[in-house]
This record gives sequence, structure tokens and C-alpha cells, in this order.
Amino acid sequence: MTATLSPGTSTPPRSSTPRTPSRSERRRHWLSRVDVKASPYAYVAPFFILFGLVGLFPLVYTFVVSLFDWDLLKGQGDFVGLANFASILQDEYFWNSLFNTFSIFLLSAIPQLVAATFIAAILDQNIRSKTFWRMSVLLPYVVTPAAVALIFSNMFSEDYGLINNMLQNFNLDAIGWKTDTLPSHIAIATMVNWRWTGYNALILLAAMQSVPRDVHESAALDGAGALRRFFSITLPSIRPTMVFVIITATIGGLQIFVEPRMFDAATAGGSQRQFQTTVLYLWEMAFFRQNFGKASAIAWLLFLIIVGIGLINFMLSKSIATAETKVSRSRRHRRLARYRQGQATASAPSARGAQSASENHGTHSSDRTKEVPR
Amino acid sequence: MKLSRRTKATATVAGVAALAMLATGCSADGGSAASGDEDITLTITTFGTFGYDDLYAEYEELHPNITIKPTNIDTGGNARTDAFTKLAAGSGLSDIVAVEEGWLGAIMEVSDRFVDLNDYGAQDIKDRWLDWKFEQGTDPDGRVIGYGTDIGPTGLCYNGKLFEEAGLPSDRDEVAELFGGDDASWDTYFKLGAEYTEKTGKAWYDHSGFVWNSMVNQMDEGYYTSDGELNIKGNTEMRDRFNQLAEATLNGQSAAQTAWDWGGGKAFVDGSFATFVCPGWMLGTIKGQLEAGGGDASTGWDFADVFPGGPVNWGGSFLSIPTTSEHVEAAAELAAWLTDPEQQVKQSKAAGNFPSTIKAEEKLAEEATPNELFNDAPTGAILAERAKGVKAQFKGPDDSVIQENVFGPALNLLDQQEATADEAWQKALDLLQDLVIDN
Repeated sequence: MTATLSPGTSTPPRSSTPRTPSRSERRRHWLSRVDVKASPYAYVAPFFILFGLVGLFPLVYTFVVSLFDWDLLKGQGDFVGLANFASILQDEYFWNSLFNTFSIFLLSAIPQLVAATFIAAILDQNIRSKTFWRMSVLLPYVVTPAAVALIFSNMFSEDYGLINNMLQNFNLDAIGWKTDTLPSHIAIATMVNWRWTGYNALILLAAMQSVPRDVHESAALDGAGALRRFFSITLPSIRPTMVFVIITATIGGLQIFVEPRMFDAATAGGSQRQFQTTVLYLWEMAFFRQNFGKASAIAWLLFLIIVGIGLINFMLSKSIATAETKVSRSRRHRRLARYRQGQATASAPSARGAQSASENHGTHSSDRTKEVPR
Repeated sequence: MKLSRRTKATATVAGVAALAMLATGCSADGGSAASGDEDITLTITTFGTFGYDDLYAEYEELHPNITIKPTNIDTGGNARTDAFTKLAAGSGLSDIVAVEEGWLGAIMEVSDRFVDLNDYGAQDIKDRWLDWKFEQGTDPDGRVIGYGTDIGPTGLCYNGKLFEEAGLPSDRDEVAELFGGDDASWDTYFKLGAEYTEKTGKAWYDHSGFVWNSMVNQMDEGYYTSDGELNIKGNTEMRDRFNQLAEATLNGQSAAQTAWDWGGGKAFVDGSFATFVCPGWMLGTIKGQLEAGGGDASTGWDFADVFPGGPVNWGGSFLSIPTTSEHVEAAAELAAWLTDPEQQVKQSKAAGNFPSTIKAEEKLAEEATPNELFNDAPTGAILAERAKGVKAQFKGPDDSVIQENVFGPALNLLDQQEATADEAWQKALDLLQDLVIDN
């Protein structure tokens, strides 16, 4: 890695015989100093160069484009300032697309996380052929979104689809999966859920696995049921991972494109824009209406929205984290107080009775401290 | 945890930005200018049912140094997006790109991005084509940017079995007579539709969008005047036609199918609708739909030499060579060969579409080869008949947007029985304002 990424800063070949020791020594000294100071930057450079190239530059360039009248084919036009943003903010189709995006996001994220947690909890148990089950839940993730969308859009087809056929067999009304707003959102959310639930379940499973087993065991010894242990031990312990999963789900959910695009291939998100998400509207603006300026403005607005939600998530996770340290700190205080109290009344029987005092003297196990009167 | 969250945040930034960058994909073909016997790989992008596969093989046999790499995109709409995206990116276009008449107007606005075929002998072969077809492929500066492949003379597809069941004649000459022969009008068409719908309870046409397309293409001037001005608001003739269609649709004559899907072709097989507007190239589409939906010749589709409101051209394509091509000369040679009357006849036989060159049309009319899938109708000869009196309509830069995104949703409201004719027309005007005028 070092040699290929920063040839200038790597240590010089030693084979060259030093004729003037002092100069070569100085050179080596200088090189080692460069090595110490500059190498770290060289090591992290690949990410930043790549990010600058495919992340930062397009971001800035998109903003530049959004300030101009910019036709897809004819290219740059007049400078219009923030007019593109203003007109997008007044554009009912933009707000419609935002509503659709959030609606589909909520319909997919909430059931998805609940199901993923549930599946992870099951996989966390001692079941037979663990690896098989774990691999199976990941299987939908392997299928490309386009293929998923093709299959599901066939199933949700209004006149000939599997689902409406089944409904009609039970003498129920066919549902307008592609013409009615809410059913179309549910259909698209189903695709998303099918593909992502297993993936999230595996991440949550990894977090659950790292919850110390002895905590569970001692809770079980103390008579906590499986449900109680799940809600009082498992869930609190995987909170940071949960936050991570929520953030990724949010980002993915707000950028949803392939599923609604393929759900009705002839239109960009339904004949009356019933399920046109923001990215899909961006696509229509850029490649159908050929207005690159406005499309860039949409891209930026979406970016700002995602950053905003990211910040909210960040603060939320931070407050959760501080709450956790607070809890543990107060726990430590309590423990310490009890210990001191125990020391002071070493000769006398403790408030909790002779048995517990003799058992817990000085060396409480963490779970037992929970039993201390609050 | 902290680290990964940060990486995630940066990834978000990168993700959004990358999305906005969609247009700037890069791809480049290695190779040098065309000449003599060196090995050349030519790329060509077509769409729908083009019928070129055998011709590629034949050409490769004739020119051993040439390898053809074809790409076929499912629909014209997606081909349009593909071409526009690559034009915007400045790279990635094939050596030969098939351009559809509906978006030719937008291409004409950037005609300098395409090779002037006059430099490669366009004038020498000019007489092959119908005059208006050659004119269409010529930009205002006289640069020829496209060789015509097919045109879209339109006849009426009908399902003979369904006609019989409804007590209508099923013989194609009688059907032509039924619709009024040379005097066929939309009035008659919708009147017959009303009778059919009343009798059978089934729809007359698949969805209103396609009927509308043919109604508009039939007018002397469509969405644009010949001077390139928008021609929709206050256009009484267009409005009358819209009302006519709206009334029929609201009375249940439309099967409200989704275009280019048709329930995976099943709608063509299960008798959902009895007639279908059929430009030449649509015959290939129907063939594909029947195959996908499990139908065959016994499904009963037939093709009549009649069309309501007189002759109409809907669609038709061109082969263009973008200036980014690295083998312009070889590509021009291939494009000229593919649009040669002899090849156009073969193409027509493979795809069912109708050629744009005079000799090929004469040949098809003369041969009158029966088309098995359409109850042995001589589709080529019928289309040659339907091509008589066809005129090209001026297509403006936003023609396809107006067709798909302005009138599409408005007509869909009618199909879904969710608006009156007035409301749907108003919807179209509103969309026109938002998507085209204020865009």
C-alpha cells in the first residue's frame, strides 16, 4: 500500500551504498521526519481524493448547475440565481413527490424494523442449522431491485395480477394497486421490505450477539421471562446499532427510485403521479422535461432534507448515548454508596438481611445491583 | 460506532451527489478511423421490434472485417431517455442510433451533434425515400441527420372472433366497408363502438391514449403549428376530437389498459377489447404481446384496410450517426445499407413494420405476403394502401412530452372514469402550462 500510494514518502531503498555517511544520514533523518508528518495524510488520501472526485465535486457542480437555466441537450443557459429553487418550492408536484417519499418511507421503515428485530431475536436463539437460517434471510438482498420490482409489479398488476386474482377468489374487491395512492405506496413498501428486512435483521443479530450472555443468564436466574429479557436487556443494548439501522433506512428510503420507477414502467411514478417519489421527479425533470437546472435544484433540496434528517438522527442518538452514560454513572454512585454503607455497618447486619449482606459483601455482580432499592 | 456514523454521513453526501451526476457517465470505445480492411466494431441502438437481427448477420458476412454489436431497448420512450442522457453526457452513444419521429423534434434542436450524411453520399441515394420522409430527416440548415427506416401508415386491427360474437362482419373487406371504407370517420368508429359495448359489455379499444395519438397525428398540424408554435389552447378541431374520444371513453369503450404492458400481453388474448389502432410497426408489438400473453393466430386478430378519419402517419424512425462515433464512414455505410429498399423489405417481413422507401413499398404491395398471425391478411399490401395520401406532420421539440406527460395523464383520468371531458381537457391545459410552457 505505502509503496503504491505514496512512493515519495516511503523509506528509500537501502541497497544504495552510502558514500558520504553524514549526508545520507541527514537525508534519512529528513525522510523519516517527512514520513512521520506526511505519511498519515497519504494513507488517508485515497478516501478524500475519491470523495472529492465523486462526492464533493458533483455536489458543488450540481449547485452551480442549479443556478442556471440548463437544458439537458442544449447545455448551459442564463444565470438565474435561486429562481430554480423558488419555482421548485412552489411546484405542487415537488410537494406531492415529497409526500409520496415520506409515505412510502414510513410504510416501509416501521414494519421493516419491527420485523427485522423480531427475526433477529429468533435467530439469536439456540436454533438448529443457524447458518442456514441466517443465510436465508439475506437471500432477498441478493436479488437486484429491478428484478424484485418486475416480479412484484406483475403480482400487483390490477387486472391480471396474482394478488387481485386471489382477492377476487374470496369475493373481495380488486384493489387499484397502481392507480390508488395508498395501495400503490403499500405495494412499493412491500418490495422494499421484502428486500431489506433480512439485511437489517442480520445487522441487528450481530448486535444482539454481542450482548453478554451472562447478563441474560443471571436475569433468567432471577426469574425474568424471555419477553422481559428482550425488552429490558436486548433492546437497550442494541440501541446504537438500531440508530445506525434507522439512519441507513432513512437515507435509503428517501432516495427510493428503482421500485417506483419499475412499478409502472410506462410512466414516471403513476399516471397521476400517485407514487412519484422525489428522486423519480428529479429524473423526470432532468431526462424527460430536460430541465437540468430545476433537476439540480431538486437534488439539492433533497440533499438538504436528508442532511436535516441525518442531524435529527444524530442528535437523537447522541442523547440516547448520554442517557446511557448517565444511567451507568448513577448506577456506579449507588453501588459505591452501598459499598460504603456496607463497610460502615460491617459488623451489624445489613438492611437487606444477613444472607444477602454476607453474599454481596463488596463484590456485587452487576445484575444484582439492579435489585437494590431505587 | 462513531466512525461508521461519520462514514455513513459522507456516504450520504456522496450518494446524493452521485445521483445528481447520473448524466456524466463515461464510456469510450477504443479504435481508430474507418478504412479499408481493418477490423471494426460498430455499435447500433434500436428499440421495440426493429427486425434487424438477420440483417446484422448478413452484413457481417458481406463485410468480414465488421462486427456489429446491437442493443435493443424495449420501448421508444426508454430509447429516448437513453439517447438524451448520453447526448447530455457527451459520450456513450452508439455508432448508429435509431431516432423515433416523436422525439425527432428535440433531436433537431441539437442537430449539429449528428453527422451530416450529405458528406457520405446522402444526395446520391435520396431518391430511395418518400420525399417527406427524407425531408423529415433534414434539419433547417439542409444537413441530413437521419436515414429513414420505416413509416407509420395506420390501419385498423380488429379481433374477428369478437366481431362475430357481437354479430359484426369479420371478413376484412366487409369490416373496411362497415367502418365506411374511404369515408371512414371517427363518428362511425365510436358509433360502432357504442353498439359493440352495449351488446357485449366489453371495451372497444385498449385505452384512449393510442386512439388520441392517431387522432392528433391525422390533423394537418398537431401539437405544434408548422411554424413551431404551440397549437393546443383554443384549437377547436383538436378539442372536438377530444370531446368525441372522451364521450366514448366515459361510456365504457376503453378497456383502460396500461400501454406497453397490456397485462403482460394477456389483454390481447382474453378479449378485453376488439379494435386497436395499428401503425405498421405496431404489428410487431402485437406479435410480441400475443407471444407473451399466450395467444397465437387463433386469437383472431386481423388487419383491415381502413382507418377512421382517413390516412395517418404515426411514428416511424431514422438511423442517425452521432458525431462522437469513431467509425463514421463505416457507420454511414451500414446505415445506408440497412435502409436500402432490399433490406427494408426483409426488415418489414421480420418486424411487420412498413418501409419508407418507394421501391420497398412497391415490392410489398406486389408480393402481398399473407401474415399468418393476422388471419393471413396481406399486411404489407394493406399498409401500402394505407400509406397513400399520408402527410408528415411537423413535430415540435416537446411533442413527446406533450403526448406522454400532458395528454397521457388527462386521458388516463377519462379511462379511470374520474373526470368529465371538460375536466380532463383542463387537466391537459394545466399540465401543458406546468410542464412545457413554464418549464
